Amino acid sequence: MIRTPLRPLARILSARANGENPDAIMRENLRHRHAEMQDKARSRAEGRLLVLGMFFFCAFTVIGGRMGLLSVSEAEEPLASAIGTPIAAQRGDIVDREGRILATNFETHSLYAQPPFMVDPLSAAEGLVKIFPDLDRDRLIKDFTGKRKFVWIKKKISPEQKQAVHDIGDPGLLFGPREMRLYPNGSLAAHVLGGASFGKEGVDAAEVIGVAGVEKQFDNYLRDPANGGKPLTLSLDLTVQAAAERVLYGGMKLMNARGATSILMDVHTGEVISLVSLPDFDPNDRPAPPTSGFDPSVSPLFNRAVQGVYELGSTFKIFAVAQAMDLGLVGPETVIDTRGPLRWGKFRIRDFHNYGKELSVTKIIVKSSNIGTARIAQQIGADRQREFLSHLGFLDPTPLEIVEASGASPLLPKNWSELSAMTISYGHGLSASPMHLASAYAAIANGGRYVAPTLLRQDMPQEGPQVMSPQTAAASRNMLRLVVSEGTASFGDVPGYAVAGKTGTADKPKPRGGYYDDKVIATFASMFPAHDPRYVLIVTLDEPSENSGSEPRRTAGWTAVPVAAEMIARVAPLLGLRPDIEPRAAAGITLTSN
Amino acid sequence: MSYLEYNVKSTPTGLRKILYLNWPLTLLLITVASVGFLQLYSVAGGSLSPWAEPQMKRFALGMTAMLVVAMVPIWFWRNMSVVAYLLSVVLLIAVELVGIEGKGAQRWIDIGFMRLQPSELMKITLIMLLAAYYDWLPARRTSHPFWVLVPVMMILFPTYLVLRQPDLGTSILLVTAGGGLMFLAGVHWAYFAAVIASGVGLVTAVFESRGTPWQLIKDYQYRRIDTFLDPASDPLGAGYHITQSKIALGSGGWTGRGFMQGTQSRLNFLPEKHTDFIFTTLAEEFGFVGGISLLSVYALIILFCVASALATRDRFSSLLTLGVAITFFLFFAVNMSMVMGLAPVVGVPLPMVSYGGSAMLVLMVAFGLVQSAHIHRPRGRSR
Repeated sequence: MIRTPLRPLARILSARANGENPDAIMRENLRHRHAEMQDKARSRAEGRLLVLGMFFFCAFTVIGGRMGLLSVSEAEEPLASAIGTPIAAQRGDIVDREGRILATNFETHSLYAQPPFMVDPLSAAEGLVKIFPDLDRDRLIKDFTGKRKFVWIKKKISPEQKQAVHDIGDPGLLFGPREMRLYPNGSLAAHVLGGASFGKEGVDAAEVIGVAGVEKQFDNYLRDPANGGKPLTLSLDLTVQAAAERVLYGGMKLMNARGATSILMDVHTGEVISLVSLPDFDPNDRPAPPTSGFDPSVSPLFNRAVQGVYELGSTFKIFAVAQAMDLGLVGPETVIDTRGPLRWGKFRIRDFHNYGKELSVTKIIVKSSNIGTARIAQQIGADRQREFLSHLGFLDPTPLEIVEASGASPLLPKNWSELSAMTISYGHGLSASPMHLASAYAAIANGGRYVAPTLLRQDMPQEGPQVMSPQTAAASRNMLRLVVSEGTASFGDVPGYAVAGKTGTADKPKPRGGYYDDKVIATFASMFPAHDPRYVLIVTLDEPSENSGSEPRRTAGWTAVPVAAEMIARVAPLLGLRPDIEPRAAAGITLTSN
Repeated sequence: MSYLEYNVKSTPTGLRKILYLNWPLTLLLITVASVGFLQLYSVAGGSLSPWAEPQMKRFALGMTAMLVVAMVPIWFWRNMSVVAYLLSVVLLIAVELVGIEGKGAQRWIDIGFMRLQPSELMKITLIMLLAAYYDWLPARRTSHPFWVLVPVMMILFPTYLVLRQPDLGTSILLVTAGGGLMFLAGVHWAYFAAVIASGVGLVTAVFESRGTPWQLIKDYQYRRIDTFLDPASDPLGAGYHITQSKIALGSGGWTGRGFMQGTQSRLNFLPEKHTDFIFTTLAEEFGFVGGISLLSVYALIILFCVASALATRDRFSSLLTLGVAITFFLFFAVNMSMVMGLAPVVGVPLPMVSYGGSAMLVLMVAFGLVQSAHIHRPRGRSR
């Protein structure tokens, strides 16, 4: 910056020559400079102000122009179609593996009253009671004539009811649109779906929230608008589920059981194709949960397949035998001492019948010998047994995708002693859910790989960890096949489908210790077709009693097995399996090679 | 220029000050407030309650406040500006700690007889502080990076506090008014160019990255921005206000449906019809003519403020007056743009018309400062 000197020499000299005070010149110049700077700052500020003014002017023009444009335009209503879409997509549908609807949304109305606007509260109350007989007339009159300004009357009403209320013609009775969850198949797959109810409620809308089952497990996913109304695809098959429910219901009645459950699972993918728990309920009208102090397992809401943990009895024997074969301790034809009773301290292990002095391992399974299995478990030892069962998933809750699953932990012995190992080997002393059993049997069925049960449709087989060798799994399957063809489950033979499986009849424990001698849990764990299993089916009956003979028969072979056989005969064609002749030779080769 | 240099003797004293008020400005303010009373009366279905009467009382209170502030010499206010700013910041922090929540945002503190909204207070005290700052700062330092950073911090700190409440509208107002004042004070234009350019760059980057592997924000955040910028895509959710107010404006036509004849507002189609969206009822009842008249009154208020700022040679007075004008302008420009769908919906009331205590009171106090600057302006030639 070039500055003009405040004391220009020429002027000072000339001033001095004239005898004037040179300081006056400096002051004069200083004042000039200040004025100059001030002017500059001012012009700059005015320039800035001009810019701002222009900006203001533009803004005024735009706003005024927009105002004019809007006022000459016709008032446009939003399109009707635009109103419907966002509401419909509020909560995602749930569909089965073929895309058939299991749960969807339905537009309905709530009914509420604003008493200050009511013309004739008394006749309105009369009219409402005629339409909804469950309403209390006196209470309505009290609400309508009191000081309340807002009264909910019904959370959801049908179109017919809406019209009827409309015909009452009282301006104080108002409708609010809202969505409700609809399960078009009624009680079908009720325990999987769970149910939904209203969360936050307003006059114009209500939030639908899942309260149980997959509805609760996937609540965030179903509510996320980002999914764009994409449905949740389950692994269930609607037709198979329906057939299984009918057969199990009939079986439960026939066998005089209190409850029943069945699980059909794909052994390669872990997909649960059908899951039934009886008694069931209608998720459209979910019953209230049982109050405390009351056995929850009596409630229809109780999911026996997932929440129910039972001692599953002799169905466990195959795990001890499979582990012993996998460890090389025994082979299918190894002979085991089965003289009974087997004493262990104060404890005695008996068999249902006396099977003689000794049995081969295969025969132990076919005849279901507790003593023989316990002796094998002794050879395995508690630690190795515990490890093997943990690989099969018996020590943790199942990873099934419904909220109830994570809460159902198996009941394990506090101290896993040698005695525990012996009792667990034939299915006592460890309680697990039928879902655990399905998953473990699937490992035997698919050649030794653990599969996690899932309710979501999978496209690929699971590559779970190998928990036993394929040879062991094949040998175990051969034994299970023999159980059906010549052992305790002979009623389970379904021509053409080569069923293999193991029965289990466990006495029910009394609430205060000890066991009932006339109440059992009868289970049949099966797989089919035996030479190349694709599905595992677990059928469990709670307190069955088959009364056609001279005295009631409760063992699984008489109760759970025939029900399972009927179910396989019904669902196998639905699953696309054709009746086939069993390749006996191949089975024989596997036997000798092991 | 310190207040000792004010030509104190030339300013009017005592009650004579009232004669020297900026009367046109005062009358314009009364006009706008009256428009508000009429609209609130109409929105309530032709009734003074629940809105029109309290609003009148508040305006009376506001007028009194304005006169009191106007009587106090402007140099007192200049000396108080740092204290006032710090007080507002403390109150903002207090809101954070003990505030009352309303509609999902924490904005008020209850001080007994009324609910105080410190973010409103901040709008004036920030302008006061900036005006005082540039009055104090020698002109040649205005564009020095350090002396630019100081006012930037003064603006951004309270903005951050307000944004946490969260109150997007007020934050935008604070930043824009503060920035505008810095611009008027003569900060080098390169700073503004840099800020605007980097802002544009950032926004472009965010939008350009959408759908690419390096996208900067999450998908759902993009969708929120989409609805925010284009509410019409969600006519029943975020766009509901806009759709309904456009209908109101459209049905108003040139001359409107007539006083108390608006259907959109009277039939409860419009939410917030007595606060942020009150302009729609005016436009519906008085049409384009009514709307443009209100806009003109607002323009005149701005014009008188600018004239008053130009008339004074005191830098603090002129910057303060212009700052108040900018704030006032932002209020109604943002509100009207928002109502007419030109800008996203951020909660900014229509100044002096919308129902609401804090905002009106604060604006009246701000105009009190403008009046004080006008009354106590240096008179006569000082050279």
